[in-house]
Amino acid sequence: MNETAFWFLQQTKAAGFYFSRMKSHASPVQADNLSTPNQGLSAESGKTKLGLSDPERWVDLYGDYLFKYALMRLRDEAKAEDAVQETFLAALKGGKSFAGRSAEKSWLVGILKNKIFDYYRRASRETSFTDMEFYSHEESDRFVPDGLFKDGWIHELGPQEWSSPGASLDSEVFWQTFRDCSDKLPKNVAAVFNLREVDGVESKEICALLNISENNLWVMLHRARMALRRCLETNWFGKQEVPQ
Amino acid sequence: MKMLEALKTRWIVWVWNHSPNCAEMSRLASQSWDRPLPWSTRFRMRLHYLICVWCKRYFKQLQFLHDAAGHFEEHADTSPSRGLSPEARQRLLKQLQVAEHKKS
Repeated sequence: MNETAFWFLQQTKAAGFYFSRMKSHASPVQADNLSTPNQGLSAESGKTKLGLSDPERWVDLYGDYLFKYALMRLRDEAKAEDAVQETFLAALKGGKSFAGRSAEKSWLVGILKNKIFDYYRRASRETSFTDMEFYSHEESDRFVPDGLFKDGWIHELGPQEWSSPGASLDSEVFWQTFRDCSDKLPKNVAAVFNLREVDGVESKEICALLNISENNLWVMLHRARMALRRCLETNWFGKQEVPQ
Repeated sequence: MKMLEALKTRWIVWVWNHSPNCAEMSRLASQSWDRPLPWSTRFRMRLHYLICVWCKRYFKQLQFLHDAAGHFEEHADTSPSRGLSPEARQRLLKQLQVAEHKKS
C-alpha cells in the first residue's frame, strides 16, 4: 500500500512539475518582457527538452541583477561572474519550482549570498580582513585641538543640518551619490559596512565570518560611517539641490 | 541676566566634564548600532546631547545612513553600472547547458 501511495505521489509531483513548465511556455511574453528576443529558442528547446528553458530564462531575468549584486560586494568582475555561475549551477541542482517570480528571485539571491559569504571566508583565511589604515585620523581636523573643549566639534566644521533627508530616498540622483560614496570606501571596509548595514548581519556573525575581532569591526564600521556621512554631506546635502 | 548666562556656562562645562567628548561620542554613536551599550554609557551620552547640537545631528545622520542602507537593495536594479557582458552571458549559458545536459 505504501508503495502504491509513493508511486502516486511521484506521478502527481511529476505532473505538477510538467504543468508548471507548460505554463511558463504558454505565456513567454508575460514571463519576461525583456528586450532579449529569446522566445524562438526557448520554445524550440521546450519541444525537445523541457528543462533547458529554465537556465536561459534565469540568465535573462536575473543574470544582470545577480551580477550587480555580486559585483558590489566582491568588486571584481571575474569573481562576480563566477559567483553568479555557481549560483545558477547550485540552483539547477536544487531544481525547485516556484509559483511567483519574486520567490524565485529571492531564492537565487539567497544562494548567491551564501556563495559570497564562502568567498569572504576563503579570502579572510588568506589575508587579514582588518583594515586599520583607512580614515585612521577620524576627522581629527574637525575637532578642537586643545583647551577646555578639546575633542569637541569645531562649530563651523561639525555636522550641518541636512534639509529634508527623507525626500532624498526617492531621488535616483541621491542613490547614485550614495553608490559613488560607497565605492570610494576601501574594499574590506565596504564589505564590512555592506554586511552590517545593507544585509543586516549581526556583529558577532561578521566577526566569525571574516575572522576579525569585534573591536576592529567597530572601528572599521565607525570609520566607514564617518566617511560616508562626510561624503554625503559634501556631495549631496551640501549642494542643496534636493529635488522635492 | 548676567547671572543666568554664568549659570548656563557652568552647566555646559559641568556636563562637558561628565560626558564623553565629541570624538568619543561619534565612536559610541556608531557602536550603538552594532552592540548594546551599557546603561551608564547611554546615560552619559544623553547628558551630552543636552548641550551639543552637533553630536545630536551626527547621531541623526547615522540613523539616516542606516535607513538608507536598508533601502539600498531596492535601488540596485536601477543602477546604471554594467550588468553581464555579452561574452559573460554566453559563457554562463554554455556552462548551464553543459550542466543541464549532464543532469538529464
